[in-house]
Amino acid sequence: MSTAIVNSMDVPDVAGGVTGGGIALPEGNSTTPRKDAGYSMTPDEYKKIAHVKKNRTVGDWVIIALLILGGLIMLFPFIVLLLNAFKTTADYNSTGPLSWPSSLSFSGLETFWNRVNFPQKLWNSVWTSGLVALFAVILSMFNAFALGIGRVKGRRWIILLIMLANMLPQEALLYPLYTMFKAIGLYNNPWAIVIIFTVIQSAFGTYLLSSVLDTFPKSILEAATIDGASRWKIFKDIVFPISKPTLSVLMVFFFIWTWNEYMIPLAFLVDNSSQTIPIAVSSLSGDRLMDVTTTAAASLISILPTLVFYLIFQRTLSRGVTAGAVK
Amino acid sequence: MAIRKLVAAGLTAATLLGTIGLAGCGSSSSDQEENPSSIKIWYYEENDSALGKAWSQAIDTFEKETGVKVEFEQKSFEQIRQNASQILNSDEAPDVMEYNKGNATAGLLASQGLLTNLDDYVSQYGWDKIITGTLADTGKYNDKGVMGSGSWYGITNYGEDCVMYYNKDMFDKYGIAIPTTLDELTDAMGKFVAAGVTPLSEGVAEYPLQHLWWQLVLMKADDDFIKAYEMYDGDVDWTSEPIEYATKTIKDWVDKGYISKDSTGLKAEDAGQNFINGTYPMFFSGSWWWSRFTSEMEGTNVTFSTFPDADKVVGSSGNIWVIPENSKKKDLAAKFINITLSQEVQDTMGNDGGLPIAADADKITNASDKEFIESFDNVLKNNMLGFYPDWPTSTFYDELNASLQELVNGTSSVDQVITELQDNYNKGVEDSGYKD
Repeated sequence: MSTAIVNSMDVPDVAGGVTGGGIALPEGNSTTPRKDAGYSMTPDEYKKIAHVKKNRTVGDWVIIALLILGGLIMLFPFIVLLLNAFKTTADYNSTGPLSWPSSLSFSGLETFWNRVNFPQKLWNSVWTSGLVALFAVILSMFNAFALGIGRVKGRRWIILLIMLANMLPQEALLYPLYTMFKAIGLYNNPWAIVIIFTVIQSAFGTYLLSSVLDTFPKSILEAATIDGASRWKIFKDIVFPISKPTLSVLMVFFFIWTWNEYMIPLAFLVDNSSQTIPIAVSSLSGDRLMDVTTTAAASLISILPTLVFYLIFQRTLSRGVTAGAVK
Repeated sequence: MAIRKLVAAGLTAATLLGTIGLAGCGSSSSDQEENPSSIKIWYYEENDSALGKAWSQAIDTFEKETGVKVEFEQKSFEQIRQNASQILNSDEAPDVMEYNKGNATAGLLASQGLLTNLDDYVSQYGWDKIITGTLADTGKYNDKGVMGSGSWYGITNYGEDCVMYYNKDMFDKYGIAIPTTLDELTDAMGKFVAAGVTPLSEGVAEYPLQHLWWQLVLMKADDDFIKAYEMYDGDVDWTSEPIEYATKTIKDWVDKGYISKDSTGLKAEDAGQNFINGTYPMFFSGSWWWSRFTSEMEGTNVTFSTFPDADKVVGSSGNIWVIPENSKKKDLAAKFINITLSQEVQDTMGNDGGLPIAADADKITNASDKEFIESFDNVLKNNMLGFYPDWPTSTFYDELNASLQELVNGTSSVDQVITELQDNYNKGVEDSGYKD
């Protein structure tokens, strides 16, 4: 029974480790602020800064050591996963989880791949997470435009109401959602997942974007209005291009969050053929027995796509995070 | 203003949809389909396990005999455990499926009207002649969902019991004989400790130690005690000998070093692994480990016996087949259940390391499997199944583990543990409303 709990927590854990790994890049982070200092420097000063690298103080080294240590701690679950994913069961039985595999074995991966029809599950996950990321970003953008730029009355309360979708525990939403979606015939339909998570994710997106757009310089909007721009034109040609970096960050988050969702997809996707990857991973734990190496291999392969997705969008991510700082 | 109206309209619509949905639940009549061409079957056993192999053979036989196509899906245990009631309450329900026996699972669904009453099929196929005694208790539920009496809602076709597994090689190495009585068992454990080996592999974070605790309770318990404890038939006396004896013995075994204090954080998988890799020579646990031990401990001589001197052992029927009330192909579903009880399917199960309840012992070719099945047959013949300790309430599994952890690591005394268990048990039974 408790294996299930461990399982359902595994996925976000690992994702946490991954994003953590991204943050813990000591080199890049510690040098960028110095380079970006706002005033112009003489060549001499530039040289001095270059020298700083060589003359790191003890404090610098301590900080770097701590950062590396922190990074390793965050990577630890991932390392354990890697160690065990390629072991044979016999190997695991005799040496335990923390030892180096005695030989490279893909049997766990193979078992999982065939047992759950992995390509199908992968497609299901990509399809739902992709659609949710896309729809939720669009919905967030429109909502935020209305609430942040449009300055609707009582917008704080509206945002709070929308945020409820995100703040309520999913257990509380489960039964009402079940009843609603069964009544409209979307129970056991992947579109139910797309709709539910588009709403849940866009709640957060609306909150974030509208507070960003709240601070949007009014003068630009006024100038545009005087020039005769319609609301649609302001949205399309001014607000949207400026929000793009933030939107792409949101898109990455929505994709990864939806990918890792477990409880609601488990409740709504009855047929094996429509299930997503986290559910497939959980199916490996039985009533009283579990297969550790296969589960490790399954967890590993199930987070790889989000890792790849993250790496592809990493550039836009860092651009998105620093977007506000430039102008 | 406009937005408020919109929100209000949305809420009204949601409520409306909700009520329609609820109304839909009540009106599901079970009009039976005529000459169906397919049937939906679910179970959550591994393909290569004894049950998986036996049941997929049953599916083949069924398709051949009836010409009806089987739409089979192997579900995950988690999915069925968490969502069975929602699924069975919808059109997505299968026609026949494996489900967990017990009050909190099958009993609950039966009392909610989600499972088909199987009484007619039982008499039609004569299932009650195969499934008898304590095996039958887990298939019958009364109107409150309490097992042991009332109508049939589930049909099992295999069993499970807990035995003591011995690593014979380790016994030989230290010149210790495999025990046949309880005294010999404690003697053997003492000798292992003297030789510097902790004898019992335990995992207190999950089921292993609570099964041992219950086995010790069963050493002193009579039928009345078990009925009171499992089926709320009378009051459980928590100061009585069985409970005192079991709890004290566990404490005693920990003090003497038979059970390691370090096992409090270990799970069942760890305990099994520690037995497999030869850290500990003994492991008391269920028959579900048997095929794993035989395949993963190749080269090691593993033997087993039911707990020495026991008249009752921890165990029960296996999971049960149920027919959801929403199924429109109930006759076919019953026919499938009947095939899983057939001689051929049962023999297949036995030959793959399972514990069939109606197999022909002569058809079991593997000698060690045969011995295992004969041991279980003996348990059945003497009506020795004593169920599991966590069945009475839905939270008792975790509570029992927590109390035993305190007992093993020494933070609670025997009396404190018993009082804690009593409180949790009584509260759980009261909350569930099983007792008037």
